[in-house]
Amino acid sequence: MIYYLTTILVYGGVDAIACLGLSQQFGVAGVTNFGFIIFQAAGAYTAGVLSLPNQSANGGFQSYVGGLGLPWPIPWIGAAIVGGLLALPFASLVGKRLRGDFAAIGLLVTAVMFNLLVTNYRPFLNGAAGLSLVPSPLGGVVDPLSGGYQFGYGIVAIVLAALVYLFLRRVTNSPYGRTLRAMRDNDVVADSLGKNLRSLRTSMLVLGGAIAGLSGGVLVGFINLWDPQAWGYAETIVLFAAVIIGGLGNHSGAVLGAILVPLGFEEASRYIPSIGPAGLIPALQWVAIGLLIVLFLWFRPQGILPERRRKLATAGVPAGPVVLPGAGAADELPDVPTLPPPPVVARHPGASAARGEIVLEAHDLARIFEGVRAVDGVTIAIQRGRLTGLIGPNGAGKSTTLAMLAGTLLPSEGRILYAGEDITGLPAYLRARKGLVRTFQLASEFKKLTVIENLVSAVPGQQGDSFRGAVLGKRYWGAQERQNVERAEHMLERFGLSAHADRYAGDLSGGQRRLVELMRSLMAEPQVLLLDEPMAGVHPRLARQIGHQLLALCAEGMTIVMVEHELSIMDEFCDPVIVMAEGRVLAEGTMAELRGRSEVVEAYLVG
Amino acid sequence: MRTAQEIGGAAAARTARGASLRTESLTAGYGGSPIVHEISISVAPGEVVSVVGPNGSGKSTLLKGIVGIVEVLSGSVHLDGADVTHRATEEIARLGVGYVPQVDDVFAPLTVAENLEMGGYLLKPKDVPARVEHVLDVFPQLRRMVSRRAGKLSGGERKMLAMGRVLMLEPALVVLDEPTANLAPQIAHTVLDEHVRRLALTGATVLIVEQRARAVLAISDRTYVLAGGRVRMEGTPAELSASSEFVESFLGGGQPAGG
Amino acid sequence: MRPGGTGRKATSSLSIFESSVAFGLITSAVLAIASVGFTLQFAVTNVLNLAYGAVMIAAAFAAYAVNQAGVTIWVAALAAAAVGSVLSLFLNRVIYTPFQRRKTSPIALVIVALGMTLILEFGTQAIAGPTNVSYTMAQGPMLQVGGFALSAAEIAMIGLSLVIMAFVHVLIRYTRLGKAMRATAANRDLARNCGIRTDRVVTVTWIITGALCGIAGAVFGMNAGTFGATSTDVFLVLILAAVFLGGPGEPYGAMLGALVIGVATEVSAAFIVPDYKDVIAFVILLTMLAVRPTGLLGART
Repeated sequence: MIYYLTTILVYGGVDAIACLGLSQQFGVAGVTNFGFIIFQAAGAYTAGVLSLPNQSANGGFQSYVGGLGLPWPIPWIGAAIVGGLLALPFASLVGKRLRGDFAAIGLLVTAVMFNLLVTNYRPFLNGAAGLSLVPSPLGGVVDPLSGGYQFGYGIVAIVLAALVYLFLRRVTNSPYGRTLRAMRDNDVVADSLGKNLRSLRTSMLVLGGAIAGLSGGVLVGFINLWDPQAWGYAETIVLFAAVIIGGLGNHSGAVLGAILVPLGFEEASRYIPSIGPAGLIPALQWVAIGLLIVLFLWFRPQGILPERRRKLATAGVPAGPVVLPGAGAADELPDVPTLPPPPVVARHPGASAARGEIVLEAHDLARIFEGVRAVDGVTIAIQRGRLTGLIGPNGAGKSTTLAMLAGTLLPSEGRILYAGEDITGLPAYLRARKGLVRTFQLASEFKKLTVIENLVSAVPGQQGDSFRGAVLGKRYWGAQERQNVERAEHMLERFGLSAHADRYAGDLSGGQRRLVELMRSLMAEPQVLLLDEPMAGVHPRLARQIGHQLLALCAEGMTIVMVEHELSIMDEFCDPVIVMAEGRVLAEGTMAELRGRSEVVEAYLVG
Repeated sequence: MRTAQEIGGAAAARTARGASLRTESLTAGYGGSPIVHEISISVAPGEVVSVVGPNGSGKSTLLKGIVGIVEVLSGSVHLDGADVTHRATEEIARLGVGYVPQVDDVFAPLTVAENLEMGGYLLKPKDVPARVEHVLDVFPQLRRMVSRRAGKLSGGERKMLAMGRVLMLEPALVVLDEPTANLAPQIAHTVLDEHVRRLALTGATVLIVEQRARAVLAISDRTYVLAGGRVRMEGTPAELSASSEFVESFLGGGQPAGG
Repeated sequence: MRPGGTGRKATSSLSIFESSVAFGLITSAVLAIASVGFTLQFAVTNVLNLAYGAVMIAAAFAAYAVNQAGVTIWVAALAAAAVGSVLSLFLNRVIYTPFQRRKTSPIALVIVALGMTLILEFGTQAIAGPTNVSYTMAQGPMLQVGGFALSAAEIAMIGLSLVIMAFVHVLIRYTRLGKAMRATAANRDLARNCGIRTDRVVTVTWIITGALCGIAGAVFGMNAGTFGATSTDVFLVLILAAVFLGGPGEPYGAMLGALVIGVATEVSAAFIVPDYKDVIAFVILLTMLAVRPTGLLGART
């Protein structure tokens, strides 16, 4: 009985640790690693060969590398380190370039291949037979077969799981965790707000790998053997099933999933009488896991314990469901907020610099898509403190130009200078960190972040927005966070969305989401703001109010470039206005001047 | 023709020259939010009618609502007097409506000949070769490239093929969505002045959305001007060209649009 | 290892080479049937059906049941085709399509497909038992074909594969249905604008490709000698390698990919270490995914 209980404790602890690692990687950061089981295996093998004596011991019936006979806890530490290091080469496989399902297959296949290699190459890790007689930690000091030792092992496993849980919760609840969730929801946008996707993804792979490695190390110390059958690709599916069923993005859910799926199935089978032919029950277990995955993804994709909505707003927010004004009919909002007059704050470093000075310029910019020159030699100079409009017929290349200025697309030809510096090849996130921030034409809010989280996520230089900062904890970043939340609340007030501060941004109406995006870009403290149709789907009255806000920001020293097809907006707010057609700049001037120019009229009427 | 038998009443009313089209306060858009509002337009059999307007005025959405790609939220679409609102796009195609989308207008991996055959999918297989011949007579330039992959054609050739494809069914109504988008100006004029004219000469009714307003005016019998998702003007090319409001509807300057 | 050839062969390494090529051709034959089905499913529905290997093995066991009843495996393969069709149609209509309609992400769809893999594979195992089985079949006399020594049964497998490839070629190149399939794959909206009822085309495609999957399962079983419910796990990787080498969605690419992968794995088995023969397929697949996921013949974006 005591043996049975300890087994549950150890397996429960190990499964929980592994699921927590996956929950962080997949559920929080959205990094899909179908090779996850490899890392657990690497940890188990590492702990094995670190603690095993030289392969010539035990009569040399096993062959393996290492065999260092190191004392506990070195094998466990080694397991975590190797698990983490092994993740580094994988970082290149989970980039953005590849279609999600293709990348997933790449990793799944890698896991199968590793297994095949280890199975067939005996000298490395004893091949298909695997490692056996792996020493138990402190086995020389305490009798590993005693009930007390085994129970103690179980307690250690549970304590470790609890520590991992607390650690990951600390990371996830920090500004860094918020950035991870933002990346999960929309990585291109996170990039445009100055988040370094590559570094974030690599960190998550390494962290998840180290945690998985630790789980393997703990497991192998208890069961004393490890072979390739223990880490078939199907085991990865079990872990994914656990995390999905428990609840993606919720670490408590991951623990629950670990108890229900890997542990639950293992234990449940003990109570099922062995009916039918041999192997029937294990087969049905797998069928049940498959069914659980499919049924959960269909009926309850958010899992048993869905991701928690994090409330940041300090002001009292009406409880209960808020009826969304005009949901589904964005341009007929019944309660268009009346924006208060914009306060004059000189927070932009550029405010002191001379208005009218050229801050952003492009020379002979071109972008070629499959042989078509979507942008064909654009030269523009943007003046500081102005609200510059960019107009032109469909397909004129406006959005492409904007994307090249922001670094979302790299130009095929030409140069971009920002504050005198050549930034042509600079990645988007570094441009954002220099104060060159863009918004997107399509809805680009972080859906599963609240409105206020969306806003705060964009603040540059947050103390808690790094792995180190997250680990240091709230005492380190809490004060600054409170300031940022306060700033975001002021912003919400300014745009009349205070009541929605703690709602998921994805639940707002189209017009409100545009506002969230605009506010978020302002939170990024831009010196130059590139807006791609910020007023599309926004009620005309509100659009004009936004226009006034933008003018006020320019008066404070900000520079804004705005693509917009509503020409009345251009009339009222933008000076100068640049007209593009057929990938080139056609004319520049005030809207009134442009209207008088025949080439502009022709561009709009003839093409 | 098989399609004619299937559609019963609508077919009986159809003249040999082309179908009539009418929308009654059509409101359509994506995901429940309307882009075009209460649009009522009508096209008589054999007419060439164009819809123009500035960016984002809802021209393409209107067409997609008519051919059943975009959800119709209210109002109705009538083809030869029969209500075809909410029908699936393939069923509308079977009623004799040939739709040429703005992009992805050909089957890129298929050859020119196969594209035309797909256009004639609803014909009896034995009638297809003759019909392909007929289309190649309408667009003789296509004859040289029948075995070339559609994806390898130039922009203008591609558009010609797209029009040839819809011609395969002897459509009663051809619906063209910005056929000159992304084409160089000269080729754009060829497409409008030659290709669309040839389409019209086959007797089909033509409804065309264009950004190149002046150019399309020249080949239209009547034109609707859209702005902010609503019909702002309607008239013959002569009437519109003479109107100062016409230019304003594109470049503003009168009252702020939509505001 | 089989006798490599006749006395005409100058060196033994040459004969090993030739016999490994012969092995490779048999693997290619099985692989081609499977890969063409897989790639056509991807073409018309944009789903990477990872449960394909599971359907294969379920069909292989269906053929086994009929074979045990005394029917020759060549006829029993028809049962495999039928089971493959039914299961594939079920997968598409009941599982993948509803998830796609809900705009489920491609990654979630991969997880769904893996869940279905578990259900089908271990469902098969629950019914058929955990022990490996073999078809009752005669290998027939050894024959010399073009310098290769092959048994009559092996020649029949290659012949069957060639017949199926010819069938697929005629289907997609010359029939109205096949062209509609390609049109649907290339541009579903445009196909609908041509009046093609694309839902029906997709359904028929899954019925046909399901039959190919089932036949591939039966031929896989014949070639493998013995097989169990999880025997296609690694074979699925070979299918993926062939499909991605030729370009996902490209039937001719899949044929070419199958030929290359089948021969490459067997030849590498003869000259490197037999245990690692599949590794070359893994390497090819990972390289294609990393460098050119549209495949050698693919132009789809």
